[in-house]
Amino acid sequence: MNENYCTVDSVEALEETLKKVRKAQEEFSKFSQEKVDSIFKAAAIASNNARIYLAKMAVEETGMGILEDKVIKNHYASEYIYNKYRNKKTCGIIEEDKAYGIKKIAEPIGIIAAVIPTTNPTSTAIFKTLLSLKTRNGIIISPHPRAKKSTIEASKIVLEAAVKAGAPENIISWIDVPSLELTNHLMQSVDLILATGGPGMVKSAYSSGKPAIGVGAGNVPALVDDSADITLAVNSIIHSKTFDNGMICASEQSVIIIDKVYDEVKSEFEKRGCYFLNDEEIDKVRKTIIINGGLNAKIVGQKAYTIAKLAEVEVPENTKILIGEVEHVDFSEEFAHEKLSPILAMYKANSFDDAMSKAHQLVMNGGIGHTSSLYINTLTGSEKIEKFYNKMKTCRVLINTPSSQGGIGDLYNFRLTPSLTLGCGSWGGNSVSENVGVDHLLNIKTVAERRENMLWLRVPEKVYIKRHCLPVALEDLKDKKRAFIVTDKFLFENGYTKVIIEKLEELQIEHTIFSNIAPDPNLACAKEGAELMKAFEPDCIIAVGGGSAMDAGKIMWVLYEHPEVDFLDMAMRFMDIRKRVYDFPKMGEKAYFVAVPTSAGTGSEVTPFAVITDEQTGVKYPLADYELLPKMAIVDSDMMMNAPKGLTSASGIDALVHSIEAYVSMMSTEFTDSMALEAIKIIFEYLPRAYDKGAEDPEAREKMAHAATLAGMAFANAFLGICHSMGHKLGAYHHLPHGITVSLVLNEVMKYNSEDAPTKMGTFPQYEYPNTLRRYAEIAECLGIEGKDDNEKLEKLLVRIDELKDSIGIKHTIKDYGISEKDFLNTLDVMSEQAFDDQCTGANPRYPLIEEIKEIYKKAYYGK
Amino acid sequence: MEYKLANQIAKRKTKQVFRDRDSTIKLFVKKYSKAAILNEALNLARVEEGTDLNIPKLKEVTMIDDRWGLVIEYIEGYSLAELMDDNPDKIDEYLELFVKIQLEIFSKKVPLLNKIKDKYNRKITETDLIDEDVKYNLLHKLDGLKNRSKLCHGDFMPSNVIITDSGKYYIIDWAHVTRGNESADAAKTYLTLKLNKKDDLAEKYMNLFCKKTDISKKDIQDWIPIVAAAEITKGDKSEYKFLSQWINVADYE
Repeated sequence: MNENYCTVDSVEALEETLKKVRKAQEEFSKFSQEKVDSIFKAAAIASNNARIYLAKMAVEETGMGILEDKVIKNHYASEYIYNKYRNKKTCGIIEEDKAYGIKKIAEPIGIIAAVIPTTNPTSTAIFKTLLSLKTRNGIIISPHPRAKKSTIEASKIVLEAAVKAGAPENIISWIDVPSLELTNHLMQSVDLILATGGPGMVKSAYSSGKPAIGVGAGNVPALVDDSADITLAVNSIIHSKTFDNGMICASEQSVIIIDKVYDEVKSEFEKRGCYFLNDEEIDKVRKTIIINGGLNAKIVGQKAYTIAKLAEVEVPENTKILIGEVEHVDFSEEFAHEKLSPILAMYKANSFDDAMSKAHQLVMNGGIGHTSSLYINTLTGSEKIEKFYNKMKTCRVLINTPSSQGGIGDLYNFRLTPSLTLGCGSWGGNSVSENVGVDHLLNIKTVAERRENMLWLRVPEKVYIKRHCLPVALEDLKDKKRAFIVTDKFLFENGYTKVIIEKLEELQIEHTIFSNIAPDPNLACAKEGAELMKAFEPDCIIAVGGGSAMDAGKIMWVLYEHPEVDFLDMAMRFMDIRKRVYDFPKMGEKAYFVAVPTSAGTGSEVTPFAVITDEQTGVKYPLADYELLPKMAIVDSDMMMNAPKGLTSASGIDALVHSIEAYVSMMSTEFTDSMALEAIKIIFEYLPRAYDKGAEDPEAREKMAHAATLAGMAFANAFLGICHSMGHKLGAYHHLPHGITVSLVLNEVMKYNSEDAPTKMGTFPQYEYPNTLRRYAEIAECLGIEGKDDNEKLEKLLVRIDELKDSIGIKHTIKDYGISEKDFLNTLDVMSEQAFDDQCTGANPRYPLIEEIKEIYKKAYYGK
Repeated sequence: MEYKLANQIAKRKTKQVFRDRDSTIKLFVKKYSKAAILNEALNLARVEEGTDLNIPKLKEVTMIDDRWGLVIEYIEGYSLAELMDDNPDKIDEYLELFVKIQLEIFSKKVPLLNKIKDKYNRKITETDLIDEDVKYNLLHKLDGLKNRSKLCHGDFMPSNVIITDSGKYYIIDWAHVTRGNESADAAKTYLTLKLNKKDDLAEKYMNLFCKKTDISKKDIQDWIPIVAAAEITKGDKSEYKFLSQWINVADYE
């Protein structure tokens, strides 16, 4: 080790040193945790061994403080800091979660500039150099001119031990002749500043343009409640206030005592060797400690006796603290300032609130953000404690603790981080509000691997299928007591509920029927039904009908179980159903929901969706949440046998669009894919038959019933796309049946989605690249369509879809349905914007621009 | 122009001041810095041209008997200091006027003047009369104080405000003018009043100034160690003991 360090006394010399430290740090940054830990340990041992030597030197050089207390500080800075961080990971990977694909990597910051004060010239140096070694940083110390010898000696001891243990030479360095110019130059040249010093110093640190951790001044009030253990309180305060002659910034500056115990507190202070100044003496001391509002540097860290002598006040030589009983808490009162010496202000308060407001004012005067202290019976005083910590603008609130030793942590509370640099938060103009430690001296890299979202397959717990299954399935309700049937007038009057009622009677289940459901069910109707439910108190709801009746049933169910809900909140759009803002209410606590479809299309019996219209505003509320999933679906094609042709075609084509959209959705999975493809195959084969022959072809009816439910399960989990976004708005503005509207935009949307280089693709981790053309081709392949490439397969698929539409009487263009061009164009902008914002847009594989939606609408209107 | 140097109205270590008819002639000692004299003339010209304040006009920069001199318009009248001494019952009224004039000066902008923080930094850095560790504290303290850009007279004292017979007032002696934080200028006035043993007036001034400006006493007090240190650098031994008490102010943690 080179004993002759070069002297840093000029900007040029500092530049040289910066280069050396930079080089050393570059090497150090490659060290392993193991090596760093052994260096950290060696350095901590060396500084620990030098604790008395350094304390002596500091007292001699600065003429401040108490040797034995400085020994404790050095001991603490070595041992407690080592102990706190001995096992802490600070190099390389410090945290890893393979399942989530996330890794945290600790890297050094580079070179730290450390400004060291005169009050703790050796312990702060030990503290900061040890932290920087543990974090693989280089550090350059800027000592105070009044304490430079001891600060530099402490740094040197740490450096030499570190180098001996294998650290690069020059990893720690210092300024030999400190000046404002050199300190500022240093601060502007490093990577981080750890500034402990006066407000001027901290401000220069923050204005240097480099990240800085500066800490502010304290003006700690200690409030003594009348419930406090007075002996413990007074002796703790004395112990803390006399520590190193009051030079710790967390040391008490004033005591505020509830009047009831004032005399008791006072006599305890007297008994333990504190001196109460009389009025005349108070005035003399005031003039001595504060000069023009500033603290007289001559009294800092001096004994009470010495300060009294300066003030020409005679006190016993072994006086511990000079106490001034004063009234004012504002700055005009000299005792209200931070005094950095064994001088204490004492206030009498007439209540806890009065005491708190005095403490608050003292903190605001000169110690905002730092520390406050309360002595109280913690068993009976929890309310007061809460009041106190809410009121104090301090980053540390200490209870029954000597604040000097308590504030620095790990001595009177073992979860408070040990530190000699105490952050004061934004209140104190600092960037940190906690006790500064190694975490503040590291850059943490986060390595995040791409992960796919968890997906799911959620279906009703019971899905019963096959023709004639209804009465058999209803057997499951045998434990229910009261059933509420929701259906529409037509179905009711035509006996569709008869088989259900008979079964309920057989099972001796009380029942009632609400049959006032109109197509496009509205809130008024749902509320009416819910009122009846409230009166009837069913434990089972059976919704029988098409989409309208099943959706209305779901809404009544919600209103019955949760009358407080707000539809606007429930209908709030979400990007990811797991992350939605609105917490959907828990369903099924009052009634078991059974859905019995009477048409093959909506799939509502197995989906978590429902749409309801507010008849007063015309607003449609599309609700989506798995809470809305029916508990039981009974798919019995007997219920669909006599459906009219129009209903068969509109609901059948709706089921086709459900399947196609679910298949190309970004959220599709193998589970939904298989259901969607199977549904598509069935629909192409059986929909024309069901349409043509109706009740005469029960096989086609049954196939279509199952296809619609399969499609429902697929899109209940994979969701839909912009056919539905656009169809919803087309229906809302031009009053066409839902199935028709989605089929009118289907072909154009497929062409749009199949683009290999879309303007924007959808955002979802599972969706890797625009692949929708291939997905459509897969649909074509399952239908047996052949072609030379995917484009040709898509074209042929589109032809097959048109042929299917032809065979079931569905027209090709919006215009064909008699919508006038004028009406259409008048609503085009608003439909496009609303379609863009529709909940179904989120799962579409191509993220549409509003302008693009408009183009699709136009093509769908004119047929190209 | 030729001046008669018969009527000496003031004498300092560095200069003599004469009156000849409607002119004041400031004649500097031989070794005095040429640059400092020209700088004073330049500052005076800048304030004269850059503001509408009532100030005596600079008439000439000249050389008399190998000594540099500044010839400035002479203002006939009584200074506020004289008026205060002669009419102790009206002291509040005069103080009110004094502060009003100081605030009027602050309202002006003369962007080319030196900055007050640079001036103090230079003075404190260069002196040998202050201990290194005190200097270090003072410079850090100064570094952290707020920079502003008010016109600061730099020696704003009742003796530098002249009231003419017609009641018009003039502000004289712009040798120390800078721009910067007005609290510094107030601290300088306060300190000088204290040095002149005008303790009561100093306190009254401080209170009135704070009241009129909404500036806190603490903001002004923050500057006191700095202006006291700058005062020490002048090297007046009789003031050293008093001033050194004022500069040794701790400013940490």
